[in-house]
Amino acid sequence: MPNSLSLLEIRDLHVGFRIFEGHLRVLTGVTLAVHEGERVGLVGETGCGKTTTVKSVLRVLPIPPARVTGGEILYRGRDILRMHRHALHVLRREELTAIFQDPLQSLNPVFTVGSQLRDIVRDSMRTPEGKSLSRREIEARCIQALEETGMPDPERIMSNYPIQLSGGMRQRVCIAEALSTTARLLLADEPTTNLDVTIQDQILRKLDRLVDQKGSSVLMITHSMGVVRDLTQRIYIMYAGSIVETGPTRQLLASPKHPYTQGLMASVPRLTGRGVSEGIPGRIPNYLAPPSGCRFHPRCPHRMPECSVEVPPMFDVGADQRAACYLYRRSPS
Amino acid sequence: MQDSTKANLLAAWRQRKRNLAHGWYKFSRNPLSVIGLVVLVLIVLVAIFAPYIAPYPGHAKAYTNFREASQAPSAQHFFGTDRIGRDIFSRILFGYRFSLLIGVVVLGLGVAPGVILGLIAGYRRGTWVEVVIMRVTDVFLAVPPLVLALAITAMLTPNLINQMMAIALVWWPWYSRLVFSLASSLRNEYFVKEAELTGASQAHILFREILPNCFAPIMTKMTLDMGLVILIESTLSFVGLGVQPPKPALGTMVAEGAKRLPAEWWSTIFPALAIVIVILAFNLIGDGLRDVFAVEDV
Amino acid sequence: MTEPILEARGLTKFFPTKRGTVRAVDAIDFQMAPGDTLGLVGESGSGKTTTAQCVVGIYAPTTGDILFHGQSIGATAAKRGKDLKREIRIVFQDPGSSLNPKRTIKQILATPLAVHRMASGREQLARIGALLERVELPPAEYLYKHPQSIGGGEKQMVAIARALATDPSFVVLDEPTSALDVSVQAKIINLLLGLQKEMGLTYLFITHDMSLMRNVASRVAIMYLGKLSEIANTADFFQTPLHPYTKMLLSSIPVVSDEEESLKPAKGISRGEIPSPVNIPPGCSFHSRCPSRLDVCDKIDPGTVEVAPGHVVRCHLYPSQREASA
Repeated sequence: MPNSLSLLEIRDLHVGFRIFEGHLRVLTGVTLAVHEGERVGLVGETGCGKTTTVKSVLRVLPIPPARVTGGEILYRGRDILRMHRHALHVLRREELTAIFQDPLQSLNPVFTVGSQLRDIVRDSMRTPEGKSLSRREIEARCIQALEETGMPDPERIMSNYPIQLSGGMRQRVCIAEALSTTARLLLADEPTTNLDVTIQDQILRKLDRLVDQKGSSVLMITHSMGVVRDLTQRIYIMYAGSIVETGPTRQLLASPKHPYTQGLMASVPRLTGRGVSEGIPGRIPNYLAPPSGCRFHPRCPHRMPECSVEVPPMFDVGADQRAACYLYRRSPS
Repeated sequence: MQDSTKANLLAAWRQRKRNLAHGWYKFSRNPLSVIGLVVLVLIVLVAIFAPYIAPYPGHAKAYTNFREASQAPSAQHFFGTDRIGRDIFSRILFGYRFSLLIGVVVLGLGVAPGVILGLIAGYRRGTWVEVVIMRVTDVFLAVPPLVLALAITAMLTPNLINQMMAIALVWWPWYSRLVFSLASSLRNEYFVKEAELTGASQAHILFREILPNCFAPIMTKMTLDMGLVILIESTLSFVGLGVQPPKPALGTMVAEGAKRLPAEWWSTIFPALAIVIVILAFNLIGDGLRDVFAVEDV
Repeated sequence: MTEPILEARGLTKFFPTKRGTVRAVDAIDFQMAPGDTLGLVGESGSGKTTTAQCVVGIYAPTTGDILFHGQSIGATAAKRGKDLKREIRIVFQDPGSSLNPKRTIKQILATPLAVHRMASGREQLARIGALLERVELPPAEYLYKHPQSIGGGEKQMVAIARALATDPSFVVLDEPTSALDVSVQAKIINLLLGLQKEMGLTYLFITHDMSLMRNVASRVAIMYLGKLSEIANTADFFQTPLHPYTKMLLSSIPVVSDEEESLKPAKGISRGEIPSPVNIPPGCSFHSRCPSRLDVCDKIDPGTVEVAPGHVVRCHLYPSQREASA
């Protein structure tokens, strides 16, 4: 059961980018929270700003040209954006961990899997008495971590280099690394997008079980509705730099309220074979000159005059579900 | 139809203008490169208008005046005079003409064949065509450029044209190799495969599909090479195998002045500095160009 | 079926490498009727992309043949006639690399027209404009743009326009929407289906997305390590999957509703890694991962059997007459 204490809270985050043509206003007031032990999904299409959001949490945004122009990111009450270097370093080492889309970029190609995994285990694991582990204990922990991810023949894998492994195995190594730390919050950015579907299925189910065992919280970023449905309890839908809808995962997917979410769900091809919808007309906005008010309004079938005036706040649309749309104005959040 | 064609051309021109403005923006973020560009522009202007700017234009030709010989820099002669009385400053301005001319001609002569051979060899990698072209290239590359240029010029009469041909002969293999490696990786791109599947001719694939993707490295290299060509020309002139006196080649001037160091330092130092400045300008511009062509991710 | 427009007979493509022979495509047979959409499904190493590349002429088959309107076309594009190059076209997966970044869209679309001498000058411009309009891209805006200034979905639409420029009858679509967002994918799929009806096209549609396949293909073929393991009409394929690999694949699809969930075979049967195509296991190449493995599976390769009309499968669970009586 998720604790109501929030582990990660992003409040009204604004991030912009300065480029040749001008100023890109990318994130405009992103607000989301991940509670203890909770699995939260952040869903959106290319260019909506979800990777920028994750990078802001880890504070790995390329600071010029990017700029945080407002908001806070609280981890257990402390603002990550205003932390000093040392505190940030400790936070990254002990509290946060991440898995990214391309394991070839996360794994160092010139070191063996074993050497990288051992480094992490050595840094983060301690005996119950607080002393560091012996070499044999570290080795055993590494093998165990790999086994838990479903890796075949872990002893041999330890002495392999990343390019000798398949995509699925590399991602399992990344998961083993991420879960071998003391981190309480796992940020997963499209961890299985490049993998074959049968491998993806195996890896996600293992990840599910491991996260459960450890009691970690997860913020999973993806554009796949199916993946997010299987793995998360609550999701946020993001469009053009802000959150447009949020709620319990299955409930929201079964009954989306925001027109963008509805368009998205209609576009997903169904196993029932009911045909493919027309998609959503228009394109994502140009961040140099975004539409006024609700950024989705030029593409929205339910557009009303007030939509181009001011950005709609979140309104209640059902049990714990909220959407930023004037269609639901009757019940303010 | 007329209106829409006009509208389309207007759109094309606007797009091109935008691309250029973007390119300039990236270039101008390097203050040194901008300085290099300014200096080069000045040098080019000076070279073009040398007959009008030089205080003593006649000194660039056969001229002797032993009364004015070996004078230190002064108000009448900014850089002093050489041992037969010619104004060094004026001769440097004319000397720049030779340097720039040689740079342009050599690169013009040497780059084109190199690029074409590189394209063919790269696209036909793995066949005998590639083997022949690249081994010939390797042979030329094996000999140090200066040595080769010296050898060729020494065999022929030392004059401007032969000097240029010699350096051009030395230069083409570098481009051949550069374009070979670019072309052999580009030929696996899907847009090349698509052109092949459509049935496009070899010429189309080489010059319309592959070559446009090679422009950036070629241009950057050409800019950096200008400096090097000028240096080699100066060296050839220095050893007497280039432009013959009384023509004012910078290298020749350095050679003549070198005999009387350190007493008449001005006759060597100023021409040498002139060489350094023009090469530096090209190098700085080349660095800036590299940034312009670098792909950004935002 | 009436004369098939495309037929593969024992199509085989091997690649000799330092580490052994990669058996990319191993003796596959299939037929396509005009106007069909055959969906070719598989994971990495399945050989689906290599099959498509043989059909379109990037590779010539090692053995076996491909017949187009009954004529053998098993050769690389360079050796094929111009007519064939006009009739059979391909749309590649990654729009970023299938369009030359240094050329404008006008130049890109002019190339096939120029090569096949279909139009020049003003008429060419008019035809290019018409092509762009057909894929719903306003010509005035897009003619002089470069690929990097347009989005992935639009790039793919240009690629489709380019494929259609020569008025083909057969188009190979190699994962045309895998790199795109789902809302853009929907738009493009609709476009493709509309164009198919309008122009009477036949599609060879390659993808790994089974849910997409369900809505697009009229027949589905599934490949594993170079061999065709099952082929059937779409409805039969999804309602009564026969091959254990098909069932494994179907059970792994991430779906978005309970209704779809109930359509999937038993959940959670996927296991094992995909072997490398250089080291294919003996007997049935799937035996190392198969939950229904029999004794014979690691010794003998199964033959193909037509279990129901139009529904062919390669698996010892469905032995052919010969095997059953052996």
